[in-house]
Amino acid sequence: MSDTIRETQKKLRNGDISPKELLASFFSRIKERNKKTNALLAVYNRATQEMEEMNKNLPLYGSVFAIKDNILVEGRRCTAGSKLLEHYTAPFDATVIEKIKDKGGVIIGKANMDEFAMGSSTENSAFGPTRNPHDLERVPGGSSGGCAAALADGMCNAGLGTDTGGSIRQPAAFCGVVGFKPTYGTVSRHGAISMASSFDQVGPFAKSVEDAELIFDAIRGKDEKDSVTSELLRKEKKEKIKVGVPKECFVEGMEESVKEAMEEAISKIEGEDVQVENISIPSIGYALSAYEIIMASEVSANMARFDGIRYGLELERPSAKDLKEAYLINRGEGFGKEVKRRIILGTYALSAGYYDAYYIKAQKVRNIISEDFKKAFLSVDIIFTPTTPTLPFKIGEKITDPLSMHLSDIFTVTANLAGLPAITLPCGKKEGLPVGAQLLARRFQEENLFQAAKKFEKLWRK
Amino acid sequence: MISKKEIEKLAFLARLRLDEEEQRNVPGELESILQYIQKLSEVETSEVDPLFHFPELKNIVRKDEVREVDKKTQKRMIRMGKDKDDYLKVEFTL
Repeated sequence: MSDTIRETQKKLRNGDISPKELLASFFSRIKERNKKTNALLAVYNRATQEMEEMNKNLPLYGSVFAIKDNILVEGRRCTAGSKLLEHYTAPFDATVIEKIKDKGGVIIGKANMDEFAMGSSTENSAFGPTRNPHDLERVPGGSSGGCAAALADGMCNAGLGTDTGGSIRQPAAFCGVVGFKPTYGTVSRHGAISMASSFDQVGPFAKSVEDAELIFDAIRGKDEKDSVTSELLRKEKKEKIKVGVPKECFVEGMEESVKEAMEEAISKIEGEDVQVENISIPSIGYALSAYEIIMASEVSANMARFDGIRYGLELERPSAKDLKEAYLINRGEGFGKEVKRRIILGTYALSAGYYDAYYIKAQKVRNIISEDFKKAFLSVDIIFTPTTPTLPFKIGEKITDPLSMHLSDIFTVTANLAGLPAITLPCGKKEGLPVGAQLLARRFQEENLFQAAKKFEKLWRK
Repeated sequence: MISKKEIEKLAFLARLRLDEEEQRNVPGELESILQYIQKLSEVETSEVDPLFHFPELKNIVRKDEVREVDKKTQKRMIRMGKDKDDYLKVEFTL
């Protein structure tokens, strides 16, 4: 089943297909493929009945979601890919889940992810790695790799993930689907397990830009349970689109095939109503460094709540002699390597004597980056970059080298630092593997972003 | 270079027990990330403020008031631990 939500809706409403047939096609795909890809951690058979009982006129009617396993669905396990939450059952629905259910969507299962969303390959899951459906020897990207793989492999027609430094866009690019990180503050994070709170956003995976927009419209909006949400959306219709390509994005370490794909993509969009120009955003080169520090600092604070006592873990009578030792054991055994590394780095960056040199310095550089983008957007409407510097890499290739793994996010972290909306969409294939192009717009200007993305999508599909 | 001893202290502050392999590998792994981060020192920031918040967003606050919660929700919250009547049983601390 490779239809978009829009196409599926039409078929369901016309009676060309029944909810039962639709869901059966997804379930049979899951049965056939999930053992190979390990995209889904849980599958919900009730989805069929839920769709049968749904009002056909609702905007998300016909959408079947794989939900990243760090977003709470009432009464269902929510593991965040961690051993520490292996037995945790969500006591309520995240705001985005409430909205999806209210607007006609159904949930077919929970998707695998890097533990607590920390990783770029979905190899850091306590429940085994997910594999890329285009090549089972390769990673699907991460941290929302399960969502991207499930969607690309026909197990669902929509997905919901979280993006802190590229965790929606990088796997979407690696799996050849559309992935969208909304402007910071447009979508509620209530019920999504926090990683780095000044970056985290919830956003959709979709088969088309139109579908991504449909899901975004359904989930966005102010929520008193996420104190930095807003209704704001800036509208500005453009007849002609000016696209800027920052020269800093064509860096060393970028694979030749990706560079080629980018040049081809750019040449396809240039035309009468699209003008492409080279621009410079000098601070892009410092984005990943600033991101690393701020992210790790916020991670170390957010992870403090996981003590192995309050959430999930059904404690055996521990061998600990006191509470301090119980924490050391629970957290030491409950967290995986990458999570521990980031907590330690964050603890270091926030400790007395280092706070100004690392954390404050990084937040200042973040301001420079944000201002540089603001300046760039004075002369262009959309900024174009590669989504990733490489094609999907082999499983095991980067797992022992954290820095080279983190470099996968070099083009995606800027949007999180500056709070910008960013979308990735497939722009071609190289060596049989999908390549993604990323488009960015000003904060709260999703409308321009979708307009440009829909236009380019048509040109890149040709 | 962060010493092994420093890592030990940080891990203890963060309440993480590291196994032997981690104790061996973490200093080097963090060192490579810290070296990469050193790039930031090239940026002149003396006249720049840190960016903690985006100007378009204002904190949403709600009244600090006690709300009635139905029995079902209470049970659900309590189910997260080992419940005993209306109490939440937590780990022994003394």
